[in-house]
Amino acid sequence: MRYGEKEVLKGVDLTVRRGEVLALLGPNGAGKTTTIEIMEGFRRRTGGDVSILGEDPDGVDEDWRARVGIVLQSWRDHQRWRVGELLEHFASYYPAPRDPAELLRELGLAEHAGQVCQKLSGGQRRKLDVALGIVGNPELLFLDEPTTGFDPVARREFHEMVERLRDGGMTMVLTTHDLHEAERLADRIAVLVDGRIHANGTPAELADRALAEARVVWDQDGERQTQLTDDPSRLVWELHEKFQGPIPGLQVHRPTLEDIYVRMIRAGEAA
Amino acid sequence: MSRGLTKAFTVGLSRGGLELAQTLRTPREAFSLLSTPLMFVVLSLAIEKDIAGSDVPMSHLLMAGGITTMLVQTGLMTLPQVLATEREDGTLLRLKTVPGGITSYLVGKTVVVLVTALGGALLTLLAGALFAGTDLPRDAAHWLTLTWVLLLGLVAVVPLGAAIGALLPNPREALGFTMIPIFFLMGCSGLFFPVTTLPDGARAVVEVFPVKWIAQGVRSALLPDSALAAETGQSWQHAEILMIVGAWAVVGFLLAPRLLRRMTRRESGSRLKKAEA
Repeated sequence: MRYGEKEVLKGVDLTVRRGEVLALLGPNGAGKTTTIEIMEGFRRRTGGDVSILGEDPDGVDEDWRARVGIVLQSWRDHQRWRVGELLEHFASYYPAPRDPAELLRELGLAEHAGQVCQKLSGGQRRKLDVALGIVGNPELLFLDEPTTGFDPVARREFHEMVERLRDGGMTMVLTTHDLHEAERLADRIAVLVDGRIHANGTPAELADRALAEARVVWDQDGERQTQLTDDPSRLVWELHEKFQGPIPGLQVHRPTLEDIYVRMIRAGEAA
Repeated sequence: MSRGLTKAFTVGLSRGGLELAQTLRTPREAFSLLSTPLMFVVLSLAIEKDIAGSDVPMSHLLMAGGITTMLVQTGLMTLPQVLATEREDGTLLRLKTVPGGITSYLVGKTVVVLVTALGGALLTLLAGALFAGTDLPRDAAHWLTLTWVLLLGLVAVVPLGAAIGALLPNPREALGFTMIPIFFLMGCSGLFFPVTTLPDGARAVVEVFPVKWIAQGVRSALLPDSALAAETGQSWQHAEILMIVGAWAVVGFLLAPRLLRRMTRRESGSRLKKAEA
């Protein structure tokens, strides 16, 4: 898939099932925003097939728009509007919206309903952005780097809110460069590096993949030995047999998901 | 009209109403709406001479200029600035994410611009009559003239302003690209002093643009014919006004929809982020 002069996305093959949360994980510049903007119908692609809720997002109609919610990064819009007034206004665009007052209560914004948006804190503003994204009762919600620039408390509150939505059965696609966020919120993680999907699976599947590259270290003949193996337990057992007892200086490193992720990013950048 | 379009239109009308209410409840913005009529009342009170070659006080020309200013300022200065600002702060993108959002945005903005411009013009007219001793249109025919001149003027300046707004790279460029040139144009278009005092070359340039003609039309509704001494044509030239201002309206209506479509199509989150960086 080409965008402008530079080929941005080369091999992005993704499927999101209904009720599933997919995290598109990758470093800055990997093509996450490009991918999500193509899915949102905000960007034209130069090749490939995309189908969102059964339609090609390039040239969707208003009915499709009503079924999709979008929470983008860095909103500063509608600063003069009061919180409650803004949410009610945006509810009125949709055929079957949620009750704005109830939504504000749910998100802990009820006490700010009369306040102008300008006066909200960063975290409150982001909650309002989510409220605006879901007030239309969407089947599918896109969140583009939703917690960038958050302090830890705001980040946790935001994660709890997304978890509640997930438990309520909303299908979500979110982008993030934070592995822990992806692990916490997503049913499935797709790792996007340099325009290519390098891994795609449940956090458990990715963790299995992490196991596949365990590093076993031991001392033999006064020298440190290192071996990478997909079956560390078998290697250790073989070493036990060989040494007929304890293995000197034995260490087994099972790389964390994070190690795997960093390795993928480095491999992707080197390629 | 389809059901979706009808809905977008209704939501747009309420959007316009809400935006107007927000302006009125924000003291700084409400004052800035009043500041132009106020400035013209003060100017009119300060100036005591008559229009050269007539017995009509200069204050009448000034208050007519104030009415024109409300129109031109709203359409060609405020509107482009607002469009560029709301493009950059994400308002437009937000509306792109909702069904019928862009239609509703444009309808709402039209309501705001029309009410602000016409309300401001009416306010200036009344303020002049109340505080500066100027006249209201003297009969039904002159009210009619004022009405069509204001409406035609709006139909010319609003699409032009929208087109300029769509072209502005960002709101900070508005000062150089629109504010200063438009202010200069207003200064030379007979709003503050008769165009007849301009050198011929400058006058020819000014006569290409609609501002001079709108102002002349407003004066034709408010000033007695004895003020014609200070006009370029020795008549109010209604036919010329219709033609020239009408031509600009056509230009605006040809340009604005295309440029606005291009502007909204190009809007995306990554563009927004680039603008922020």
